[in-house]
Amino acid sequence: MPLPHWTLALADNAGRSGGSDAVLATVTSLSELDERSLVIEAQAGNRAAFEELVRRFDRDVLRLAMNLMKRPEDARDVYQEAFLKVYRNLHRFRFECSFYTWLYRIVTNVCLDHLRRRQARPEDQAPEIHLNRQDEGSRDFFEFQRELRPGLDPERRLMGNEIRTRITKAMERLSPRERVVFEMKHYQGLKLRAIGDVLGTTEETVKNSLFRATRKLRQELGELR
Amino acid sequence: MSASEHKMNCSEVGPLLVFLACDELTAEERTNIETHLESCADCRVLLAEEDALQECLATIPQTADELDRSGTLLAQCRSELAESLDEMAVPAEPERWQPFGLVRRWMALRPGWSAAGLLAAGAILGVQLLQWLPTNDSRLNGKAMTVSAAPKVSDEQLAKMAVYGINFAPTTDAAPGTFQVQLRAEQPLVLSGNVDDSDMRRVLTYVVKNSDRFDAGVRLDCLDALKSRIHDMEVRSALLDAVRHDQNPAVRMKALEALRDVAGDEGVRDVLLQSLDRDANPGVRVEAVNLLVRSLELESSARTAVPNEPPEPPDSDMPMVAPNAPAVELPGAEPSVQRVVRALQDLQRHDPNRYVRLRSAAALRQIGPPDAQ
Repeated sequence: MPLPHWTLALADNAGRSGGSDAVLATVTSLSELDERSLVIEAQAGNRAAFEELVRRFDRDVLRLAMNLMKRPEDARDVYQEAFLKVYRNLHRFRFECSFYTWLYRIVTNVCLDHLRRRQARPEDQAPEIHLNRQDEGSRDFFEFQRELRPGLDPERRLMGNEIRTRITKAMERLSPRERVVFEMKHYQGLKLRAIGDVLGTTEETVKNSLFRATRKLRQELGELR
Repeated sequence: MSASEHKMNCSEVGPLLVFLACDELTAEERTNIETHLESCADCRVLLAEEDALQECLATIPQTADELDRSGTLLAQCRSELAESLDEMAVPAEPERWQPFGLVRRWMALRPGWSAAGLLAAGAILGVQLLQWLPTNDSRLNGKAMTVSAAPKVSDEQLAKMAVYGINFAPTTDAAPGTFQVQLRAEQPLVLSGNVDDSDMRRVLTYVVKNSDRFDAGVRLDCLDALKSRIHDMEVRSALLDAVRHDQNPAVRMKALEALRDVAGDEGVRDVLLQSLDRDANPGVRVEAVNLLVRSLELESSARTAVPNEPPEPPDSDMPMVAPNAPAVELPGAEPSVQRVVRALQDLQRHDPNRYVRLRSAAALRQIGPPDAQ
């Protein structure tokens, strides 16, 4: 029976011998375990179970880190630091909240640390990557066509570029916490209560942060409306 | 009105509209606001603005999608995490007997004395050894030989390898421009260095030339690394190859970008003209138009730098901005300029994409003399 592609990739990445049926069988069965069982297995020292947990969540974690940090190398640092923290502290996890919430609490704390450090020492930082490079003088906007969805009206596309630039600029004016709240609400699709759980704060505080962030964005986009 | 309903005014409703737009209100709050909205046009306008902002946020692409479209970064992160976990799992080595342990400990504690002692020992040893070495060896007076180091990656390895990651900043203390290429041939291999390294350049150009075997993200990274060596003919040929044959428009676009500084070269211009004619992607065609304009600029600046060359005669027939204007020959213009102008005219009339047609018209205006614009 052919194995799922990711199963083979996992066995390969882990550096194990490709032909070991036992290893692949273990990995395949781990993929069928629910989150709680995987956490228990990982807490008992099962490395494959931990790797399976990582694979279930790491795509979203990296997305969050990239959207917040705007630089691939910083996102990579956040990814490493967060998952190593999870690995070292997994034995302390007592199922008082979901594993997802616990993981995101760690990830957002690492992101907040990086963002605060960046704010405190801006002179040490490389500039964030702005996807919409309109400041590059007279270059035609077609140069950026591949970054945009096909079929959009060119005028809307141009407007979209302008809006994206403004939003990126406005995001830089947000405090680290406002940035995290805004990102989790709009791009991770979390409810404010869940964001409060992740950040270890009340829904009311999260609401205030979102309100302030949105107001700053609206100010930045004011002329375009 | 039910007992739970509370009559809200504009100052109460205003701050809640953002939460109404992103669906974060209780049913009761929602009902109260909707009641207010029925009678308040100002708040309806504000809500429409909030909705527009939400819609706009939902449609703009996210940084993560743009930065890691191919998933290379995720694969890299996973591989690095696995390595870190491996390191954590390795038990600490027990202390073994070390030769000269006492001397090494003494030296570690007294670095100044150790350095002086080692220098003195080296000098004495060197002086003593010199008298034993033959000083007039005929073999040393023979012809100089050039010895080239064998390439680290053989042709066979190149043919079998899979590149699964390029890391542009392997460590914080690495020299600028240093990057790592992670290869998987018969066994994993990491090449580290900068683009001046011939082995590294060989691997990167190989990846660019063999677009069917490698991921588009990896090819884009390779182009990024190679663009600083665009004056190397092998690199240039790989980039021209990518412009002609790569199946991914983003890669073709990147290759064109990298050729910007050598757009005046005749061979590059030929490929640009081919792209105008054959490339299916309008964005690539527009970039080719931009580079052709740049190539003429480069050529004219090179010509003005040569003092003996006669100046270009003014030509009022140059611009062809009307979409249906007949083709006009450019008496007195360089043949290369004429070729470009003809190609742009053709594009302006026949390209299926309106914006390519507009861009070629603009390019023709740009090429023309100022009085004709």
